[in-house]
Amino acid sequence: MRVLLHTGKGGVGKTTLALASALAAARHGHRVCVLSTDPAHSLADALASPVGPNARRVTPGVWAREIRAQVELDRGWQSVQAWLRELLREEADALVAEELLAFPGIEELVALRAVREVEQTGDFDLCIVDCAPTGSTLRMLRFPDALRIFMEHFFDLERRGARLLRPLMRGFEAGRLIPREDFFDAFERLYEEIDDVRRILLDEARTSARLVVNPTRVIVDETRRSFAYLSLYGVATDAVLVNRVMPEAVGGGYFERWLALEREELAAIEASFPVPIRRVPLQPREVIGVDALEALGRDLFGDIDPAARLAEGRPIRIRRGGGRTRLEIDLPGISKEEIDVLARGHDLHLRVRDGRRTISLPDSLAGRPIERVRLQEPVLEIVFGERGEA
Amino acid sequence: MRLLLYTGKGGVGKTTTAAATAALAAERGLRSLVVSADAAHSLGDVLGERLGAEPRRLGARFDALEVDARHVVDTVWGRVRAYAVDLLRHQGMDEVLAEELALLPGAEELATLVCVESWAQSGDYDLIVVDCAPTGSTLRLVTLPELMHGGLRWLLRLQRAAAHVVEPLARGLVGVPLPSPGVYAEAEELLYRTLHRLRARLLGRSTSVRLVVTPESMVIDEARRALTELCLFQLASDAVVLNRMLPEAALREDFFRAWGPAQAARRAEVERIFAPLACLEAPLQPDEVRGLEALAAHGRALFGERDPAARLGESARLRFERDAEGGRLRLPLPGVDPGALEVARVDDELVVGFEGARRKIALPTGLAKLDVSGVAYHGGELVVSFALAEAPAA
Repeated sequence: MRVLLHTGKGGVGKTTLALASALAAARHGHRVCVLSTDPAHSLADALASPVGPNARRVTPGVWAREIRAQVELDRGWQSVQAWLRELLREEADALVAEELLAFPGIEELVALRAVREVEQTGDFDLCIVDCAPTGSTLRMLRFPDALRIFMEHFFDLERRGARLLRPLMRGFEAGRLIPREDFFDAFERLYEEIDDVRRILLDEARTSARLVVNPTRVIVDETRRSFAYLSLYGVATDAVLVNRVMPEAVGGGYFERWLALEREELAAIEASFPVPIRRVPLQPREVIGVDALEALGRDLFGDIDPAARLAEGRPIRIRRGGGRTRLEIDLPGISKEEIDVLARGHDLHLRVRDGRRTISLPDSLAGRPIERVRLQEPVLEIVFGERGEA
Repeated sequence: MRLLLYTGKGGVGKTTTAAATAALAAERGLRSLVVSADAAHSLGDVLGERLGAEPRRLGARFDALEVDARHVVDTVWGRVRAYAVDLLRHQGMDEVLAEELALLPGAEELATLVCVESWAQSGDYDLIVVDCAPTGSTLRLVTLPELMHGGLRWLLRLQRAAAHVVEPLARGLVGVPLPSPGVYAEAEELLYRTLHRLRARLLGRSTSVRLVVTPESMVIDEARRALTELCLFQLASDAVVLNRMLPEAALREDFFRAWGPAQAARRAEVERIFAPLACLEAPLQPDEVRGLEALAAHGRALFGERDPAARLGESARLRFERDAEGGRLRLPLPGVDPGALEVARVDDELVVGFEGARRKIALPTGLAKLDVSGVAYHGGELVVSFALAEAPAA
């Protein structure tokens, strides 16, 4: 199954283009599920028909579903809930699941889990995700890594601790604070599920991000940084979709100044993203309903299959040459001062502006010193020296 | 001190509208502060100046700042965070990652509220205008004090119980550092005092939310749902701003001919949906609105003779009524599908939910001792009737 993540700044038309892509893909024979993970869902507004937390058929090849964290929490993870409820039995609190929403990562977790659910049904060969605005999407993509770290450092410890404590605490009131074994089992299953999703997302053959922009400066600036963060987290962007390009037909008159600004931005977009750029013009009418979305999809993709990989690159790649090994990452719109690199054993710690990631180095690079870090817009090159060199 | 929160779907022009409101108010004599709460700050771009976490004076009576979440969170949550980081590092985790994982959920939203509250109390301003993040996060912002209250409460209980009984054992077995009493004190301070104060500020009479929309159905639909959720959490809205209306000169362009009638239809829709809120209109300007002067001019186009800081309209509020037979709770929830409404009574609270949102409403003592006798939805209001419990039938 292919996964296409549609993200970008708020209001640029992510939902519209996600649906247009889905309908265009269906014409190529794909069975498509569109998932909205933005808590402010817009699928129903764009389709002008209801969409809910259960997959709903839009056309013969396209289904749509809105992920609502609360509904999903109410539905699943019964043993986690049961434990919490038992723990808090003094309150007989029926709304524990909802309060879980106050904890970090829960919404991201629910959204990630949904991608896997779509794959497991076996009914779809394309999952199009209409993501929340960029910030939350990046948090979502960061989540599996954080969870992995938690599991590696704590989980076994906690489990061992609980196993040791449980017999000691039997009969004590506080004994119920110690999670039961099935709580850990449930948690482990959950982790495995999320780790599955991580593998899907980081596999550029399976997952591509599509960045939606409008030709205005603030939006293009932010989108360049989003591209960089996606690369950093290992997610391959294979196209930039430019929405609402004012047609030349608008001419001068009232919009003269806007047209001039747009032309500058379109040139900047072409220059700054190392992937194909696809454009759709501003429409004379709002794009609402299946027919209008289908027409927009034809405009956007022509005869190209939207499910195809539109660019072959990998966001993070290892190259050899001139007796040296280099690690390269695409980081458009980032300046050298915003980057920190540190290699320690098997781990490469990278900071790019507000984004951080620890990349596990292959054995061939582990333990080698960093010889040079060079930014050749938009590629960051980290050149490794030989072991033992200083 | 008047507090205005501007929200709406991404890209509708919240920042410009918020800055224009403050710019006009300053021009007319109010000491004004505009605060950017969107982590992807664009207020500096709109003003053409670099902004920081402290107010920067950009004109007579006009200050601006961008909230720095990390800095603010450290001041209210520093010790708890430090403990969490300590705990994570103790387990061999990388320091940077530990820092990241220990960030409080909703940190940005909390930081905004705390920052606004401290400037509200400073006495330096007559008006604070907040440029909120897009709708989803704004709702998170206004619901945060309640949500966090629930989450924190059980976290505290959990930790305290654990500290008393389990941890002396756990320490011996797995060697985990213990939180100092100060950690609990700080968590409690946050829980009982800070959140309470923030909630009181949000629900106060001098706070209003303003919804910014453009004449597009998808944008209006989202604002409508936002208004419903704001009502559910009892936040008062006073106006809707219809932004980027194409002026006559633009509608004469051939390409935009169809927009005239569509735009008029959207305007009528907005006026109908959001009544009794005031409906203000701003034109799409022929150029980017940048800098204080352009913003003040945009403000004049938007408000005309109106006072930008006034309460321009009033959304209906939650009301409780008592009478001889029992009582009623009336909760305005415009535009909700009655089929999607869930109402449940849990002890002396009423739980109201629809689609993604759910809230507990504490019942006043008078109603709390009665039973729910009926639930109805009409005229955009949820009406829950209460009556004395009937003796069970034999």
